[in-house]
Amino acid sequence: MTDLSTPVTAVQAPVITVSDVGIRFKRNRRSRRSFKDLFAGSQRRARPGEFWALRNVSFSVAPGEAIGVVGRNGQGKSTLLKLVAEVVYPDEGRIGVHAGVAPLIEITGGFVDDLTVRDNVYLTAGLHGMKRAEIDAQFDEIIAFAEIGDFLDTPYKHLSSGMKVRIAFSVISRLEEPILLVDEVLAVGDKGFREKCYRRIEELLAGGRTLFFVSHNERDLRRFCTRGLYLDKGALVLDASIDEVLDRYNQEYGVTP
Amino acid sequence: MSAALEARPTRSPFARYRHSLWLLTTRDLKVRYSTSFLGYFWSILDPLVMAAIYWIVFTQIFHRGTVGHEQPYIVFLLTALLPWTWFNGVVSDATRAFTKEAKLIRSTKIPRTIWVARLVLSKGIEFVVSLPVIIIFALVSLGTNTPAQLHWQIVFLPLAIILQAALAFGVALIVAPLVVFFRDLERAVKLGLRFLFYASPIVYGLESVPIHLKPFIAINPMSGILSLYRSAFFPLELNWVDVAVSAGFTIVILVVGALVFRRTIPTVLKEI
Repeated sequence: MTDLSTPVTAVQAPVITVSDVGIRFKRNRRSRRSFKDLFAGSQRRARPGEFWALRNVSFSVAPGEAIGVVGRNGQGKSTLLKLVAEVVYPDEGRIGVHAGVAPLIEITGGFVDDLTVRDNVYLTAGLHGMKRAEIDAQFDEIIAFAEIGDFLDTPYKHLSSGMKVRIAFSVISRLEEPILLVDEVLAVGDKGFREKCYRRIEELLAGGRTLFFVSHNERDLRRFCTRGLYLDKGALVLDASIDEVLDRYNQEYGVTP
Repeated sequence: MSAALEARPTRSPFARYRHSLWLLTTRDLKVRYSTSFLGYFWSILDPLVMAAIYWIVFTQIFHRGTVGHEQPYIVFLLTALLPWTWFNGVVSDATRAFTKEAKLIRSTKIPRTIWVARLVLSKGIEFVVSLPVIIIFALVSLGTNTPAQLHWQIVFLPLAIILQAALAFGVALIVAPLVVFFRDLERAVKLGLRFLFYASPIVYGLESVPIHLKPFIAINPMSGILSLYRSAFFPLELNWVDVAVSAGFTIVILVVGALVFRRTIPTVLKEI
């Protein structure tokens, strides 16, 4: 970025590299697991009762790219996001994430019911790596964005579900991390707030963030993303511009041709 | 374009670990103390009630307190019962370390050992703040004909705390991930703890164990640690062989725990 000696055509060092990644899950949660299984290490083939949620997926992401992940339900979109967030590990292949990640995945997960909104903000922001002084400096903005100034000392469990998502989004979107992962979290919440979130995401994109976006909403995908990844049956079928990817997706599964 | 983003100072992994660990530990304590009316007193009430029960059963019914060097018996009890409460709390909470926090674990990538280490630390803090109870009983005993006497062996207290923290951490590293796969283990651990309670020198002293049972008590890694704690008031209880066994066991359990944890964590993350 700042290195002027490289020619313009040179590819920037990628922030995310995914090479030959595969991950498998149990089909049946109840299926028995033996001690041997646990310590057997990674085998190349799936054991009976397991399936590959993703396999042979490879791509790399340059800083500042905005990527939309497209696919039907259960084709591995969220799993891919979790792999990039490094909250699960692949069974084969390698994932390199070379910058900090702000994951908007299960965002309300870190919030504790019995603690107040104020305590929760400090806790979640802190767990994602923000220092106390940084949180202090941004606290008012976080609360203002979520529009819940009157509920600062209310236990989190007494908030409405919309408020919960609002404060969670507000905290995570304040993280100064170069990579932003968004997983359909904004499906809830009223229209006005959703628009506000989208404007915030655009702001972050303009600031040079790298975006990974999972959504079923075509309009949103076209709005933010330039590149698309199309996942089908656990494989990366197409890695191209978002328009191309959406066209192909609509061709194969679209209701209106 | 992203110069501002990259200029952000990043902390060393160790500093981040400490920071996250401290956040979760204080969260645990805050939740515990803010949701109950009695707050702090719960962490001493439990061992106090148990101590009262054992005191009544053993001194009033079985006349156990007559063994000379175990006087005053209530202090004798508490010096082992409070550390045991810590160990017991860590191991039994470790069975729920992953299942209870599943949502949070699924959304942050902080080093996973923190989920176990925070238990050792928060229960350890509760243990330390419960220590004044022993002092109070020791002071009260000064007015009786069997006054408690503090000895120089109190200097071993930090050693005992370090050994116990390491042991509890190691056991929790093994228990926490395995419970995710074998839910039965949760009950098995509870049962095991109850067994270990009576197999440890808590209601009795190492000195009064019959000779043919001594080896069985000695291989219990808690024995040596408890004898270290007790030696502050009851120097006769100190047995360096047992302490050495405890230390050896602790190292082995820590290594095994680290291996089990590392090996199973990718699967744990998929299953929770």
